Amino acid sequence: MYFLYFDPGLGAMIIQAIIAAVAGFILFSKNVMYKIKLLIGIAKKDKDDVFDDIEIKDSDVENKN
Amino acid sequence: MQSKNAHSSSFRDPSGYIFTDNNKIKRLINPIYFNQYNALTTSGFFDNLIKNRLLIGHNEVSKTDDEIIIEPEQIPFITYPYEWSFNMYKEAALLTLKLQKYSLEHGFSLKDASAFNVTFHKGKAVFIDTLSFDFYIEDSPWRAYKQFITHFIGPLLLARFHGAQQLKLMSNFIDGIPVKMISSMLPFKTKLNPLLYSNIHLLAKLEDKHNEDYKGEAKIASLSKKGQLNIIESLYDYIKKLELKEQSEWGNYYDKINYTDEAFIKKSVIINSWINAIKPKKIVDIGGNDGTFVRRIDFEIKNALVCDIDNNAVDYNYKTMKLNKEQFMLPFVLDVLNPSASIGLNNKERDSFLNRIKDFAPDITLALAVIHHMSLSGNVPFRNSAQFFSTFSQYLIIEFPKRNDSWVQRLLKSKGEFENHFSFYSIENFEIAYSEFFTITEKTPIVDSDRVMYLLKVKP
Repeated sequence: MYFLYFDPGLGAMIIQAIIAAVAGFILFSKNVMYKIKLLIGIAKKDKDDVFDDIEIKDSDVENKN
Repeated sequence: MQSKNAHSSSFRDPSGYIFTDNNKIKRLINPIYFNQYNALTTSGFFDNLIKNRLLIGHNEVSKTDDEIIIEPEQIPFITYPYEWSFNMYKEAALLTLKLQKYSLEHGFSLKDASAFNVTFHKGKAVFIDTLSFDFYIEDSPWRAYKQFITHFIGPLLLARFHGAQQLKLMSNFIDGIPVKMISSMLPFKTKLNPLLYSNIHLLAKLEDKHNEDYKGEAKIASLSKKGQLNIIESLYDYIKKLELKEQSEWGNYYDKINYTDEAFIKKSVIINSWINAIKPKKIVDIGGNDGTFVRRIDFEIKNALVCDIDNNAVDYNYKTMKLNKEQFMLPFVLDVLNPSASIGLNNKERDSFLNRIKDFAPDITLALAVIHHMSLSGNVPFRNSAQFFSTFSQYLIIEFPKRNDSWVQRLLKSKGEFENHFSFYSIENFEIAYSEFFTITEKTPIVDSDRVMYLLKVKP
């Protein structure tokens, strides 16, 4: 059950399906580009060392950051 | 329903509220949220987030049929979104997305995505609203999506295109920057970016269109979990790569400073000898730049707040803190001539800097290379700055650059014909004004410079 204690914005609720489609396309093409780059050997490693990945580990090992 | 003395910021969510009990923050949970709370607890959801230090930890204090009371880990000093540097803001945004993704994968969803649900503690962003998690309803869109845009993406994008000062807008728009305003302020080229077009410009259009639908006639669209995860992951990737345009001169701050390396070391030796004598647990460095002097302190301090007006300096301090994995350091942006005010409902929802720093009660305040800026750029008389510094800590370590110091000369020259109006700027007048509020405990000139260090103690 949701408590409607703030206005989620009707437009924002409707539009999410469109945004999701765009996002899906972006992620897909990024993935394809990465594979191509990997194939021709110009894929770069992420050099940003401050922010980690989106994944949260389910193990009980404490995150290194 | 709020029988306890609820905190002035905690009134929106019917699931519960926070209150203060014996100077400790506690949280009361109403029966309406019992199911969620129990599910989050027994499934190990809370545990795992707390272990990863993404959610603030808590202990259950009591449990009855009417209320559950938990005591969260206490945070010594809360910073607000309008006090974060660009990369701090990024970390808070990424944390929120990370939590939403994890929630979705475990049958929950964040019911709100306010930037005020995040603060910085022990060297990283942490989510502090334990009751924000709700059950995920299959194929429903993310209710907090728009809030995420107005609280996070909006401010970050405005900062990207118009400078980090834009982050301060959040102190006026306490519930996020209106989508229409974000859209109107972004350059045309953002319309050519599919992610920005769909998440900002199209959203602004649709919100406008449905603004007048008071009867709720439009149908709520459904959105698969995969679809929602796509939105979250694409936003995560985008924000992670987002950088300021102006980001150029990180580091080398102290190269510009006018005194020799030896004077720099002497200054920190003086600070160290006084700090080792006082043995403080908590300090605040006002105008602390990138935290250089605090890092040179050879005494173990539990909490060090380092604030500066310059977003770049704070950001640099933040990155250093991250790379060194420091837990005692808390950098934030603050204009000492206009510290954050109390805002929100009854002007009490978000506390002012002065109230928070008084509660934090630092043992020592450091004010290095800041008095000439306050006095000469800000036209603040000595008496007024003395009064300001005397309100929140027992000791003040202050550096006074004399009139012939090159920085002082530069500031005076910029006054042009009004230079004579600043004839009050002398070490004698400084001592007279500060003696009204403080006792001068120590006074040591920094060799090879025109600067003098003072250790002052507040008069009882």
